[in-house]
Formats: sequence, structure tokens, C-alpha cells
Amino acid sequence: MSDFLEQLRADVGKAGTPSVSRDPVNLPTVRNWCDAVAEANPYFTDPAAASAGPHGGLVAPPAMLNAWTMPGLIMGAPAPRDLDRPDANVYAQLEDAGFTGVVATNSDLYFDRYLRHGDLITGVTRLVEVSEQKTTRLGNGHFVTTEAEFTDAAGERVGSMRFRVLKYAKPEALAAEGDGAAAVPAEATDRPLRPKPKFNQDQEWFWQGLRQRELRIQRFTDDGSLVHPPANANPKTQAMDWDWVVASGKATLYSFTVPHYPQVPSFDYPHVVGLVELEEGVRLVSNIIGLKSNQLEIGMALEVCFVDTHDDVTLHQFRPAKTPRNSDTLAVAAVKVGDQLPLGPVPLDPLLIVSTAIATRDFQEVHHDRDIAQTRGSKDIFMNILTTSGIVTRWIGDWAGDDVIFKNLKIGLGAPNYPYDLMTLSGAVSEIGDDGTITVGFIGQNSVGAHVTGTADLTLPESTS
Amino acid sequence: MIKFARKTAIAGIGATEFSKNSGRTPMQLATEASIAACVDAGVNPADVDGIVVFSAEKNTDIEVARNLGVRELTHFSMINHGGGAACGVIAQAAMALYSGAAKYVLVYRAFNERSWHRFGQGVQDAHQSPEAFDVSFSWTTPFGLLTPAQWVAMFATRYMHEYGATSEDFGRIAVADRKHAATNPAAFFFERPITLDDHQNSRMITEPLRLLDCCQESDGGQALLLTTEDRAMDLKQRPAVIASAAQGVAHDQHLMRSYYRESISGLPEIGVVARQLWESTGLGPDDIQTAILYDHFTPFVLTQLEEFGFCAEGEARHFIADGAIEMGGRLPINTNGGQLGEAYIHGMNGIAEAVRQIRGTAVNQVDHVDNVLVTAGTGVPTSGLILTQPQ
Repeated sequence: MSDFLEQLRADVGKAGTPSVSRDPVNLPTVRNWCDAVAEANPYFTDPAAASAGPHGGLVAPPAMLNAWTMPGLIMGAPAPRDLDRPDANVYAQLEDAGFTGVVATNSDLYFDRYLRHGDLITGVTRLVEVSEQKTTRLGNGHFVTTEAEFTDAAGERVGSMRFRVLKYAKPEALAAEGDGAAAVPAEATDRPLRPKPKFNQDQEWFWQGLRQRELRIQRFTDDGSLVHPPANANPKTQAMDWDWVVASGKATLYSFTVPHYPQVPSFDYPHVVGLVELEEGVRLVSNIIGLKSNQLEIGMALEVCFVDTHDDVTLHQFRPAKTPRNSDTLAVAAVKVGDQLPLGPVPLDPLLIVSTAIATRDFQEVHHDRDIAQTRGSKDIFMNILTTSGIVTRWIGDWAGDDVIFKNLKIGLGAPNYPYDLMTLSGAVSEIGDDGTITVGFIGQNSVGAHVTGTADLTLPESTS
Repeated sequence: MIKFARKTAIAGIGATEFSKNSGRTPMQLATEASIAACVDAGVNPADVDGIVVFSAEKNTDIEVARNLGVRELTHFSMINHGGGAACGVIAQAAMALYSGAAKYVLVYRAFNERSWHRFGQGVQDAHQSPEAFDVSFSWTTPFGLLTPAQWVAMFATRYMHEYGATSEDFGRIAVADRKHAATNPAAFFFERPITLDDHQNSRMITEPLRLLDCCQESDGGQALLLTTEDRAMDLKQRPAVIASAAQGVAHDQHLMRSYYRESISGLPEIGVVARQLWESTGLGPDDIQTAILYDHFTPFVLTQLEEFGFCAEGEARHFIADGAIEMGGRLPINTNGGQLGEAYIHGMNGIAEAVRQIRGTAVNQVDHVDNVLVTAGTGVPTSGLILTQPQ
């Protein structure tokens, strides 16, 4: 073992000083979290519903477990870092050695009980493992594994977390170009633009609409007929007066193809081209994003979104529509192994990345400052791991219903969730234990690959009213 | 009602070899095929007085006429819409002959569709003007729907959904075609039959279409010489009488992208052709011994069987399941190997095969052939014809 590795591993097995949450579990912090990850379970924010629910009062979303003891942001002071914590010490050594990049790769959360508002949480973190130097897609680095145990004011354990991060050095190629803007990946700039739509005065209103994020459908004013592609006269009456309506954007998939060959450089292959039927009744051809070939089903609900492809062109796209929350909790008897969860589309706006980082109390610059993110070898800011946990539990809860109780959540992260992409969660019940524990296996895929894979164990009521 | 039924005939056929690289120009191919068709018929090329070509044909009528030493042309015209023109040029030639506008009409198609411009490579760099034809591609091209295979695949997915057809059903078309090509020395895939497993293991081109669902890209030329039935009776070969020929466009027609009709699981423009052919000849599906069904992509062969009434809508997968479309079956199709097995010459080589079936000279000769059905490009404005024995 190298001296360096020996030094990194000097504190393996040691625990840091207990870190006490600055605030007890409280409604405003919970509400910010719920708002940011679109969590709507009333047991987290609605006192009346919560007191009638299985927890007997307001509780915090389980995935917030480790958010309470996070250091917070103290402007004007050095980043609060407790060098007594053995893991913080390892991170500092790795940074000094040039491993400045950081990504969380695994988070296994175990919930002994849901946290009640007013709970004051203490966390103790133990350094479990420092890996040898590994070669990864991001660069060379070391994985650092910690385990944290969380207790309440009475000293009772409420949960624990096994956490793994990769501290890595930017690959030579990127480092040689210096910090900052040069780190933008080449493929983003070299790729030829898509074929541009050609139009004349008969259709320019359609393409101008897209520039304004409006999907317009031609309407003949004499009988209200909607026509697409646009025509010069009403095919039913030959009247030539028309205007347009703005489509709601709600649609279903009527047919599709998934081109593999030939591969034209301006597209990623395979990609999905759909024939989409708008709820207004007309069809149009569009890209379908956020879905793999085996997730496509004729008749599935879609919703419009838009992409700017040239300086002066915006195209419509369709993505899976979000399934409404299940208003009735599933009974355990109603769940079978193999049951599919509804697809969970998560459009990755920059606002989502930044607001969820802050709502989950993660103030690392890589989640809100693109310049710094690029300096650290990333192409852009990216979603933090607590948000991924929060969104996954929200999505599973939307399927299972309000009375679901999570026992644990184990996730591994892969392709970062960058802004302007779309992550689609999919999953299924993989196991039902003798004690009724349901295991859901899931994956969240973005345009690069799997952002998150993992499992969650949960329980559901025997029966539902 | 079509009035030229049984009044005209195909008197001569001529082709170059079919290959992936002809090594010569399309004009050379057009010239060779055209002279061969005249020689086959026993007509002096200089006597040709009519030429009908596809609008997709780049070898112009006047240059071919010059190469043939044609003295004068009294009829020349062009049929639009790609391979949908294949039987349309025959219908047009028949009308010209029946009306007296010409006595000997030449039709041809020649290209280096593999070694020069490949249709399968996509239209991403085409259609850059603001004219209506170019603009029509803007509803699909920016979204990466670029190739004929992709255009057809969109129909195929819906067809599978509505009728329960599978990729294997498409594969059976390819297997039949390649079986026929395997015994045709002129076919590119001579002695190279495939199995259904080969089809299922071939790479995905555009889901649900695999490589073996797609016709070849080919170099070659095919020409046909037409005249009136009376004149044809005095020429060198047994005439392949044109029982009827018809074109078809249906409502809300687009070029291979008629995605906006109430249903997209049929081919109503083929239905328009079928109705005219049956009405003008008094024939029906039971009178057809063999058919050349345009097979640029396998799924539309199923749809054509349904539109012509060989089986009910959605039932073609059952019709073909027991080898009905292979030699010895109820309706052997594409006995030359089709465009999947012989060559893709925009449907013209299929018409020549139908002529051979009437003459009794096909390498895969069907017994007792009275009538042969031929169709042209599908998904596009299209055409079809029935050849029959002379009286």
C-alpha cells in the first residue's frame, strides 16, 4: 500500500464528533423540500390530515433523514467543516492531492421511524472505507464510504445512512485545457444541427408559435375544422378563412418508429419518432423523449415540450405525461411482484436543479454555479443526491399512496442529471417478503444513461378504507 | 371506366444485369435496357414514337431517344411520385396507344441507386426550397424521420397494434421472396435463401423493421416496349396483354407519410387501384394465379393482399402463414425474388417478371397462368395492372 493510501486510511473505523442539527424538524424546512421535489403527501404539511394518518401527526419525508444535520450555509465565514470528522479529513487530503472533483455515488438510507416535527437530530459519522485509486469515467479517484447514525433527543436511533462519494481528478485532456469554459464537452459544439424546417407564408405562423412555446393547430373559421398539416382551403368546405388554436399539449401516442440506421450526425441513435394524436383530434409527427424503446406503448399519455434547435428554430417534442398521484393508498394484497409503477418523468430545468439543492440543504457550488461545476470537470451543474432520493421517494409514494411507510432507500448514481435533460423513472415490484415488505426496484434514465438505480423497501396497510 | 382494357400489350422486355455497382452511367444502363427491349420485341428502336418515364427518372426521354435513333416522338410524358409510377407509366402508355397518340411506346427506369445516390440514406440534406413539395417534408424531417424505411415503419407499428401482426409475419414475406430469388440467376441474391431466424436475427433498421424487411439498393436498368394488342400479335414474342392498368390517390394523400387519415392501417390508394382493376376487367382475386406485389418494405405486402381482397382486412398474416405466397401455394408472389431478392429497380423489373409469367418463360414459372397482378410503390400515389394471355 502506498504511503498516501495508508495516510488516507489512517482513520478508517473512527467516528467523528456528534453533529447536532441546528434546528429541530420543522414545517418550513419540510415544506420547502416538498415544494421542490413536488411531494404532495399531506402527512408532511397538513396537520389535520397528518393527525388522522398513520403517524398521528406531522412527519418529515423519510429521505430528509440526513438533511437535518447538514452544515448549512454560513455566508462570509469559511465553509463549516469539522476536521475532527474522519471523512472530512480524508476529503481534505484528497483535495490537496488534486482530487478536487466530487460526486456522490451511493446512498443507502435506513429509516427506523419517521421523524416528527420537533425532533432534534444528532448524527455521528464513521469512516468505513477508502478505496484504492480507481479509474472511472469521470477520472481517477478514490471512493470514500461512511456510515452515519442518527438519533433523537432521547438518544434513540431513528435511522442510519451508508454513503459513498468519489473524489476524483479531472482527466488530463480536460485539465490541460485549463479551468472554466474549455471544459464544455466537444460533442456539444461539433455536432451538426438538425435539418431545419422550410416554410413559407402558409405555415410560418406554426413555426412562429413554436418560438413562443405554443403548439398551434390550423382552424378553419367556417366550421371550426382543425387541420394538420395546414391546408390552403378547408378540405370539407373549400373555405379559405382560418386562424389557429393553441393546443393544450395533451396527447396520446398513436404510432412510432425507433430509427437505428442510417445514423445522421445531428441525431442520437436510436431515437424515437412518434405519431402523436393531440387531444384536439389532429395528429403530428414529433420526437418522443424520455422513453426507451421498450417503454413505448400505443395509447400512452404524452405532453408537449419544446427544444431550441437553431438560433431561430424551436421544435415541439413530446414526453411521457406525469401520472396523477394515487389518491387511495394501495393495500398490500393489491400489489403483486412484477407490478409496474407508472413512468415518472422529471424535466430537469435549471430551476429544479438549483432549488432542490437548496431545499435539500446542499449548498455545494456544483449544484448551482456552472462556472465552478465546469472547473471541477463537469459539463454543467447537476442534481444533488438528496434530491434524487427525494424525487424517487415522492414518485414511489405517488404510486403507493399516502399511507406508505418506507423502511429504506438504497440508490446508486450514474449519469449526472444535467439541466435541460429529462429523467424518466421506471420501476416495478421486485419482491414481497413474508412480513409484507414490498421491494420496489427502479431506474431513472436521462439522455446519457442511468442516473439512478436502486431499491426501496416499504410497507402498505393490510387494507384500505 | 377504363376503356383500354385488353387493347394494348407489352411486346418486349429488356434489362441490364442487376448489381451493387454497375460500373457505368445510368444513361448507359437506360440505353442498353431500352435497346434490349426493342430487340426482344423485334421492333426497330428507331420506330419508337412514344416514351413515358417516371418523374424520378434522371435519364431524359430525349437523350434516350437520341441514343436509339428515334426519328420522332409523338407522345412523351412523365408520371410522378417515385416507385408509385411503375404501373402508371404502363397505364399512360396504354392510353397513348389506345388513343392513337403513338404506336410503339418505350418505358424504362435506370439508375445507380446503390453506387451513386442511395434512397435509403435519408432526405436530411434535401428539400431546401419554400415550394410546397419541399415544405411538406418539414413536418417530419426536423424530427429525424428521414428515410423511406422510417416512413413505412410508422405505419407498420400501428398495423401490428391493430391486427396483432408480428415481425415474423413481415419476415415470411422476406423468406418467400428470397426463396424465389435463390433460383433466379438474374437475382442479386441468387442461391442465397434466408430462414425466418435469419430475418429475426438481422439488425434493426428502424423499429419494427429489420434489415431483411428492407429491399436492396440496386444498380440497373429495365425497359419495356408497348404497342397495341393487334400489332403485338405480329411481333416476335407472345404479347402480355394489358387487361387493365390504373393509378390511385386517396383522400388526404401524402408522400409515404399519409399519417393523418382516420385509419393508417390500410393503403386506400391501393384500394382505389384495386377497385378500378377489378371493375374494368371483370376479374377478381380468384382469377389471379400469381402476383408481383411491390415489396420495398415487407409490411405493405400484407396490406396490399388485404386491399385487393385476397383476404379480409387484418387477416393477411393468416393468409400467408402456410406458404400461400411461395411457389406451389395459393398465390405465389414476386417469383423473380421481388425487390427484396432480385433487385430494386423501382418496380419495373417486377413488370418484366409478370410478362415472363404470361409468356411461360419465368425461371420460377407458375402453372396455368392466365392473369398476373402487378403493383407499384406503396405509401405513395400508386398504380397497378393486370397482364393476361392473348386471345
